[in-house]
Amino acid sequence: MNTYNIELKVNGEWREAEVTATDTLLEVLRNNLEAVEVKNGCEQGDCGACTVILEGKPVNSCLVLAVQANGKEVTTVKGIGTQDSPHHLQTAFVEHGAIQCGYCTPGLIVSAKALLDENPDPTREEIREGICGNLCRCTGYTKIVEAIEDAAGKK
Amino acid sequence: MENTEYLKPNDIKELLLIMTENKDRATVIAGGTNLVPEMRDGVKTPQVLVDVGDLQELVGIQLEKDSITIGAATTIAEIAKSSVIHEHFPILSKAAGELGNPLTRNRATIGGNLANASPCADTAPPLLALEAEIHITNAEGQVRTVPADKFFMDYKWTHLDKGDVLIRIVIPKPPVAAKGSHTKLGLRKAAAICVASVALMLEKDGDAVKRARIAFGSVAPKPIRAYRLEHYIEGKSVDKKLLSDCEPLLQEEISPIGDIRGSESYRRFATAAIFNRNLLQAWA
Amino acid sequence: MLEKHKSFEKVQKVSKPGEEKKYHVIGKPRPRHDAWAKVSGQTVYAGDHKVPGMLYAKVLRSEYAAAKLLSIDTRAAEKMKGVVAVMTAKDVPHNETVTRFGQTHSVGGFEGLYRVLADKKIRFKGEAVALVAAKTLAIAKAAIQKIKVAYEPLEGVFDPVEAMKPNAYLVGEDESNVICSYKIRKGDIEKGFTQADVIIENTYRVQMVDHAYMEPEAGVAWKDDEGVITIRASTQVIEHFRGIAAVLGVPHNKIRVITPMLGGGFGGKEDITVETYLALLVQITGKPVSLTFTREESILAHSKRHPYVMHYKTGATKDGKLVAMEAELISDAGGYVYLSPWVLLYSTVNAPGPYDITHVKVDTHTVLTNNTYTSANRGFGANQPCFAYESQLDELAKKLNMSPLEIRRKNYLHTGDALASGRVLEHAVETEQTAIKALEALGEPIKPRQPSERIGQGMASCMSSYGRMTFLHDTSRSFVSVELDGTVTVRCGVQDLGGGQASSLAQIAAEALGVPMEDVTVFHGDSALTPLAGTTTATRQLYMSGNATLKAAATVRRNLLEKAGRMLGMDPSYLDIKDRQVFIQPERKPWMVVENDSRECTISYGGDRGDIIISEVCGNNDPDTTIPLTEVIKAAAADGIELLCVAQFNAPARELLDFKTGQGQVFPDFTFGTIAMEVAVDIDTGDVDVLKMISCFDVGQTINPLSVEGQMEGGAVYGLGYGLCEEVILDKGITLTPSLAEYLIPTSKDVPQVETIMIQSGGGIGPFGAKGIGEPANVPPPPALANAVCDAIGTRVYDLPITPEKILKALKAI
Repeated sequence: MNTYNIELKVNGEWREAEVTATDTLLEVLRNNLEAVEVKNGCEQGDCGACTVILEGKPVNSCLVLAVQANGKEVTTVKGIGTQDSPHHLQTAFVEHGAIQCGYCTPGLIVSAKALLDENPDPTREEIREGICGNLCRCTGYTKIVEAIEDAAGKK
Repeated sequence: MENTEYLKPNDIKELLLIMTENKDRATVIAGGTNLVPEMRDGVKTPQVLVDVGDLQELVGIQLEKDSITIGAATTIAEIAKSSVIHEHFPILSKAAGELGNPLTRNRATIGGNLANASPCADTAPPLLALEAEIHITNAEGQVRTVPADKFFMDYKWTHLDKGDVLIRIVIPKPPVAAKGSHTKLGLRKAAAICVASVALMLEKDGDAVKRARIAFGSVAPKPIRAYRLEHYIEGKSVDKKLLSDCEPLLQEEISPIGDIRGSESYRRFATAAIFNRNLLQAWA
Repeated sequence: MLEKHKSFEKVQKVSKPGEEKKYHVIGKPRPRHDAWAKVSGQTVYAGDHKVPGMLYAKVLRSEYAAAKLLSIDTRAAEKMKGVVAVMTAKDVPHNETVTRFGQTHSVGGFEGLYRVLADKKIRFKGEAVALVAAKTLAIAKAAIQKIKVAYEPLEGVFDPVEAMKPNAYLVGEDESNVICSYKIRKGDIEKGFTQADVIIENTYRVQMVDHAYMEPEAGVAWKDDEGVITIRASTQVIEHFRGIAAVLGVPHNKIRVITPMLGGGFGGKEDITVETYLALLVQITGKPVSLTFTREESILAHSKRHPYVMHYKTGATKDGKLVAMEAELISDAGGYVYLSPWVLLYSTVNAPGPYDITHVKVDTHTVLTNNTYTSANRGFGANQPCFAYESQLDELAKKLNMSPLEIRRKNYLHTGDALASGRVLEHAVETEQTAIKALEALGEPIKPRQPSERIGQGMASCMSSYGRMTFLHDTSRSFVSVELDGTVTVRCGVQDLGGGQASSLAQIAAEALGVPMEDVTVFHGDSALTPLAGTTTATRQLYMSGNATLKAAATVRRNLLEKAGRMLGMDPSYLDIKDRQVFIQPERKPWMVVENDSRECTISYGGDRGDIIISEVCGNNDPDTTIPLTEVIKAAAADGIELLCVAQFNAPARELLDFKTGQGQVFPDFTFGTIAMEVAVDIDTGDVDVLKMISCFDVGQTINPLSVEGQMEGGAVYGLGYGLCEEVILDKGITLTPSLAEYLIPTSKDVPQVETIMIQSGGGIGPFGAKGIGEPANVPPPPALANAVCDAIGTRVYDLPITPEKILKALKAI
């Protein structure tokens, strides 16, 4: 069995893992690095539950091989904010009731943050476009869009 | 899968060395958006993965005097957001922006989109209509130039051989007066596999078409140029009668299948509808 | 286009004036108590849980939809390094039992065969054939490949109409594929049609769809130090511990099911999914075991929504009065019975819709086929008939030159009217109001923006029950206590799918005990440690566990106020609690819990008392006196007064309906609502753009308005997917839409902002007069869509989903 020792900077902390060439970043985050906040919804890049920020860009971690992420920075929802020190996106989601089952939420927060980082003043259409890779089955997206609008500083 | 090897060359020289040593066993990977799910499903079982995703020589958009060069490992997101591409090749910009979703676009590359050889490849119709050139190197370092319409050979079969690496796409700048138009049809408004698409470039001379380049996606075993259609409309004026005359020709050019996304008759009708619309748009 | 209803100024009286609402927390928007953990990635779902030493399980599934299972050779798999157990049907202690759904009342024909692993005959593609547990997931996957199964493919049957025929291929071991049939007979249908001036007859077809929750089925199980097999799984029914115990041949109290927060359920996790496999593997290996379905496995092998063929013939007078309705509904039950009889009964009662129809004849059948088995899905059989009856109404309206609203207003049922199945609607029925309000909000349509664009508006009303069928004698239990520091603990078996089921209990307990919501902790979903609340299905949790929690909390409240009354030397019925303070509040009546002989109870929570003289009431106390709640608690504890209560709430229990006539109560109550929509259709490509969606429901009373809006918005989009783009496509039982790339659910770009209007009649039987909303919210969108599209293009699509191709076919373009 061929294994590779890789290093990833996860939420600001350097972590090591021993992986095969075909282990995905999602698998390694969840299984090797205890980052179970990154969710597995489809493992095909269709649902966005596994969204993380990789070198500044939001991606499906299920489509990235762990070896390809060697030496790179990865941010999950836990690197964006915590209960004690939340990002204003997280506060907006809570206050607007934009979370129901919550399974899509970690990935959505990551996508939404990446969207606002690139476009701090998005229109509603741009918000919908920015998060269209994150499927949600519970909310119908209405409160999610409102929460992101609110976090972007508009009402 | 446990025995798969992973190699990441630091430059083209190293890449060529790796490809020479592993010619028959190497599978090139960049964004992995097609390859990784296929590996998971056991559809593809690569022995040696050669990662070109971070190769600087293969990434980037270069503006030249008469053309623009796009590195094969440039992401679809970068292409969709590039003002250079938007200014010179708006149909490519649009098609790139409609590929997958924002997350997959951050990983998917233009080289990967072409090499995957799907008849539904989103960037293929614009590249065909723009008469792009695909630059391929073999393991020995010899680079050949393949026009886009020769790159796609048949269903899931391209000009790429074992040991080859697609390294760049060169697109000649169209004349300033040329106008393009593009439509992709899907069963929902995002992350939809293409049901039918058309991309075209039109140059007028007075009241007649001087030059037309028309490409279709998802309606044949490979992305196609519609040469007979192009030939037919060149020299003519675009009006309702022309569209009506084009219809049977168009239907001869395309050979859509029926599948879960739609029947053959639906694809035929829809393709004609968007072709008409796009041609009128580019003519106006 | 829809006419304005200016001539209908005289509006029906709201059914119940409702007591003036002065709640402290109820009805106020609050962040859900689980929201922060979810948004910061702290919530541990079933598949996130790890137990040291756990094995990984995989399921081998059948290659055929219909086949004889000749032999299974597991030796090669067993020999593999790292494989700890391989199981087939012969290794399961009781491989065949019956499906039960958390009810204690035996219900005969409603129970179907529950077969754990395939035996004798394969009945659908994806049926579980063998289980493997191994040290790593990779080894388990490889071991599955090494199991050799010999099949003899059989003919199979894939169309329920074909499957009903006398010589059809038999899916199971019975003499017929027809599982059961129901009917309604009201009046004289022949006579009815002679009275009709206009008759519309159509066949409607609805497709198989998937729940597509974002969290695939998952669980981890282990044996605890006392030998109790504990299963922590994403499930809507922890009461399945009984069924799992029956399979394993162990006592009920040796199986414990815990459910963490689910990543969505929608009825798809109502049947047993991973739990039995986990329990068996734990039993046989003695080790902890983990099992997560892949998305493909989930689409392939978990239950689906029933496809239906519905033939409707509806007759009306020239004034639009409905005089006759004849309907035949045939549903595809797939390979196993599961909840098909129940879903069929819902469809039967729902078949006429919320309308007064003089003569009604309904016949329904549910039939086994070799397709993927079908069972519960949000709406549970109310959705399919709604597509038919709301489409029929619009066709009648068109023929009679009436507006869709006009014809409905002529026929809507109101409080006190009876359904065709004989049930009198004694609670609030505000359908008409919801329709008027929804259309008002919809407004005038926009003008087409392109030559090929057509704009259309459409509406659909629905009725959808909440609470389980009354012959199931439903009950729910909840425990409420106050701690010595004044915080509140709720323990309740409620399974939280994401709809705020647990959070609602916190809000209810907070209201009853006068504390902020943040002071309440809810321990939920543990069959060993939390009183069983019953299934999270049938939109019953707010009604049932909400009432049970209310009953328990009201008892603790009464005890506290009695003590406070003694402390103040005054009648406790003049006291109230708010913001952790007990204070004098003589203007409102006290809370009361009244229980009758059959243990059915009613709970009332204050209302204006009328004139009183404050000084007489207060005795020696200053009317502004307050005592901190903690002080009362400590004094009560010292006195040995009970500061806790575990209460059981009994829903009204009724008998089974009369199967000859279809007459009976069946449901405790219904929720009524309307969805109105505006669409833009491109007649060149058939593409549909949903421009506006308005949802208006009578929700009785909101507990948390944010949650209710969330259900209405989410339900509207869940229903829209059913109408617009979702379909599990099977070809002779083989799934052609294996992943989320082929099975398309709406993305954020496919839907508009949903506008919600909540009517709060106070006329529900849930806590504080609430009605359930989870399922009703998703019922009207498909017919609203069909009606809007018809309005746009002038011709109708009779089967779902309404794809561009179907629109082009309807336009005769292809």
